Amino acid sequence: MSANDILDVLNVQRDSLDLPAKKKQKVLNDVAAVHRQTGLSRELYSLLGPNTPPANLSNATSSGTKSKFNLKPSPWTRQSFTAQSGDQKGAEFFHWVKGSKELIEQEPEKPYIFEKFNVRLDIPELPDEATFDTYMSELLQDEEDARVKEEERKKVAEESTKSNSTEPKTETATGEKTDTQNEEKTETGTKEEKRSTHENKRSAPDELKNVEQSIPPRHNWTYEETVHLFELCNAFELKWPIIFDRFKYPGLREEDLKDQFYRVSAKIYQSQPNASHALIESLKSFSRVKEIERKQYLEKLLKRTPAEIAEEESLVIEARRFELAAKKMLVERSQLLTLLDSPQVTQSTQQYQSSQGLANLYNNLMIIDKHQKKRQLQQQLRLASSSEPLPPPIPSAASSSYKRDRTFQTQLQQYLSNVLRQSQSVNGREPNAIQQLLMKRLTVKEEEAYGLHYHANERLTPGVMLRSTQRLAGTQQRQSVLRSVNTLLQELDIPTGGGTTWRPVMPTRKTMAKYDELIRSVVVLLDVKRARDKLESEIKLIKSQRGIE
Amino acid sequence: MSGSAVHGGDEINAIVLDPGSYYTRIGYAGDDFPKITTPSFFAIGPDPPKKGKRTRIFGEAIGVPRSNYEVKPIIKDSLIVDWDAAIEQYKYYFEDVLKINYKEQPILIVEPVWATTEYRQKVVEEFFANFDFPALYLAKSPTCISFQQGRANCLVVDIGHDSVSITPVIDGMSLLRNTTKTHYAGAFLNAQIQDMLNKKYPNLDLCAKYLVRDRTPTKYPEEAKYTQRQLPDNITDSFYEYQQLALWHEIKETMLEVPEKKLASDRETYKDETHKRSFELPLGQLIELGIERFELADSLFDPKSYPLRDQDKFPPTNGEVSIKTMYDDYRPVKRTKRTESSQSSPPPEEEEAVTIRGLSQLVAHTLTSVDIDLRASMAHNIIISGGTSLITQLTERIQADLSNTNPGLKVRLHAVGSSAERSSQSWIGGSVLSSLGTFHQMWVTKEEYQQAGAEKILNQRFR
Ligand SMILES: Nc1ncnc2c1ncn2[C@@H]1O[C@H](COP(=O)(O)OP(=O)(O)O)[C@@H](O)[C@H]1O
Repeated sequence: MSANDILDVLNVQRDSLDLPAKKKQKVLNDVAAVHRQTGLSRELYSLLGPNTPPANLSNATSSGTKSKFNLKPSPWTRQSFTAQSGDQKGAEFFHWVKGSKELIEQEPEKPYIFEKFNVRLDIPELPDEATFDTYMSELLQDEEDARVKEEERKKVAEESTKSNSTEPKTETATGEKTDTQNEEKTETGTKEEKRSTHENKRSAPDELKNVEQSIPPRHNWTYEETVHLFELCNAFELKWPIIFDRFKYPGLREEDLKDQFYRVSAKIYQSQPNASHALIESLKSFSRVKEIERKQYLEKLLKRTPAEIAEEESLVIEARRFELAAKKMLVERSQLLTLLDSPQVTQSTQQYQSSQGLANLYNNLMIIDKHQKKRQLQQQLRLASSSEPLPPPIPSAASSSYKRDRTFQTQLQQYLSNVLRQSQSVNGREPNAIQQLLMKRLTVKEEEAYGLHYHANERLTPGVMLRSTQRLAGTQQRQSVLRSVNTLLQELDIPTGGGTTWRPVMPTRKTMAKYDELIRSVVVLLDVKRARDKLESEIKLIKSQRGIE
Repeated sequence: MSGSAVHGGDEINAIVLDPGSYYTRIGYAGDDFPKITTPSFFAIGPDPPKKGKRTRIFGEAIGVPRSNYEVKPIIKDSLIVDWDAAIEQYKYYFEDVLKINYKEQPILIVEPVWATTEYRQKVVEEFFANFDFPALYLAKSPTCISFQQGRANCLVVDIGHDSVSITPVIDGMSLLRNTTKTHYAGAFLNAQIQDMLNKKYPNLDLCAKYLVRDRTPTKYPEEAKYTQRQLPDNITDSFYEYQQLALWHEIKETMLEVPEKKLASDRETYKDETHKRSFELPLGQLIELGIERFELADSLFDPKSYPLRDQDKFPPTNGEVSIKTMYDDYRPVKRTKRTESSQSSPPPEEEEAVTIRGLSQLVAHTLTSVDIDLRASMAHNIIISGGTSLITQLTERIQADLSNTNPGLKVRLHAVGSSAERSSQSWIGGSVLSSLGTFHQMWVTKEEYQQAGAEKILNQRFR
């Protein structure tokens, strides 16, 4: 297949250039066409090129499909099969199977592949009616025995609590009852259930009545009903909701069906010589009363109103909060303990006596402090790993009675004096002047006189620093703002250090602070002025628009 | 071969038939969509002058106006009511349209949960007698829907034309006792629409499209401008009514919207101008509907507040069905017993006094009737299906209502997005089911049916 074929099929006029064989005739046609052209010059027209729509076929794909066609398609055969249906052979259906007819015919006949998915449950065969009847009376007997035993146990318990004399006759009376008729037996069975309910519920006397009333006595099963039950169990592979749905005799619960099936099955297995003991035990462990109760409780749980659910949730949250608070207290206490054990100094304090030495000491202390923090953190982590939710560490300012009052010692001051006192006691030497000074409780005035200043919240770089090189916090502004601040200061004749350094001529701490304040207020002033200008011009604009002015 | 074992499919091209109360769907198992979707109606001609059968017409051709042709339903409430017509319809599609060879494949028939034993027996016997299928299977429609969604345990809410039905499905099997069903569905809406239009526009000629050849749009109080079509005489009333179904359907499809909560509690918001939409009647008149759009849709949820003029057509129902099985004589005793015992303290609205249940109430009621152990998984797998469920905001309203009434349960609804899939859901499910390899042991042959007897087959095989 070529492009020409396609054009042929589509009935598209080919351009002369593509067709050397018909060239002559086409050229003539073209010439005629060119002559008819009036609007376009001939050169331009020829520049338009061939008018044939492109119809390119790549050779590669065509050869590819060809090679594919050459391959023999894998054969599929429509084959008949029968799926086992129930107990007999099912109908014959047809499906497609890979492989040639001959090959498949050679193969031996296999069972339908999906047959292996057909599950058959191992459900015991129900015996004939006579055996069934003996089973049932045996079951009743068992129950009665269990009841009597239970009664005895209870009585013994009662005897031990009360020192009253027992009534020996009742026991024999109940024993005689076992031989009476079926109906009476079921009645005693009922009593037994009621009593066991009673026992379960003794802790919740309010609900007792309710539950007791709503559990009906055990049904008196007939052979027919049981046969029907076993039939359904077989047909629906022990899917209880469905068995219950399709069970034709009225007035029973799902639990009744299960109960009957399990206890009769257990009986059947017991009568077989090689039945597994565990299976029988598990069959016997089903308790109809417990099941019914469980469902009633679930039902009640579902009937909670949104308010009740919300209340429950809030209680849970409250409980969690208590837990967290307790944990938090533990953490705080351990923090306090670590604070109490301060670093021990064994070296001489000589080296700290110069101002250089003091700075070093401070740095060292910081490092120690950091280590301590790290230790605390690790401790917290350990705590956290033992109990997952980790309360956030309390900020020290909030937790203790820390006050930023000048008359009290600041934390650092405390720390320093503490350290100094210790080093002194260790070395047993007289503290020098600075040490003594630091240890004393200084008044504000004194501090000022000595030029002592506690940088409480400021971030300082370690080492010595000259105040003249300090950058003021207020100067952290945009360049343009700074420029206008500068001009304003010049206008007001306030001397600056000149250039970009931005400091007063005499950079004492006080002047520095004042200067900083000044710059800040200048910046605010400039802002206010700018805003005012803007508003004023806006007012003007609106006024002019409304023609007020 | 091994490949097919993995995905569990094994195509035998079974035929799947889903006779719905509005549309009947027929196609091949394994397909995504039915080959044929045809109205469950037929047109029947007058008695022929000579001896012979009256002609029946199926499919689109019903819509052609012919003199003296009555249009009748084949199916009511998803049950075949006119057996002669049904058999003829199926024959027409099997033989003339699909041209199938009966011998080559079995047929799966989708049936509603409330089919009685006699009815099911009749289906099986009619199909074996009239068609040569080697085997057949009756699949319950909720079961099919659960297969379509791939959820073995779910609560299927099917809102179709004649009925709303809610069925719990466990392990792919429908629970018959817990099924509830009301008729507050598509046809009920049709009656509501008709009532509303008659009340609001007493003098309006609703007409039907087939009568009109040409029309110019006008706004309602103005006269309609149209020219009538030339038609044969004696067009029957039933034909006219059938044609009007299309009008109701269009209104349902384009206009209705379910309000967020019970409309009576919040009428004012919906009176707003922004909620108005206009609709063009067949004669070209435009009418504007505002709050009516919400009232109509709300009637599904609160039928009590919207009494119909023709009360008899939809008598009050609370959705409790006594599904007649083989053993239905026991049923009534069972019912009363159960309400006493298993629902130890029913919530106030569940008392016997409830005579009418709206959609959400019905779902909630069905949910509480399910065994407590299954309830959580049911609530989490509620499938909304059927054509009428396509009304805007319908699933959202059910979700909101259910979450309110069942604070302790996690309610989750599942509705197929595509509208075509939603209304063909039970057919698609049947198609899935009957192309499963493990399913092929379930087909029942005529011989087996005769040997094992109707009771065993109907109750234990067609489960
Ligand atoms: N988009 C839609 N909006 C509202 N109603 C619709 C829509 N599509 C279909 N319906 C209605 O759904 C009903 C048919 O639903 P369907 O599930 O096919 O019924 P059934 O299962 O009983 O055969 C009809 O009443 C039809 O008018």
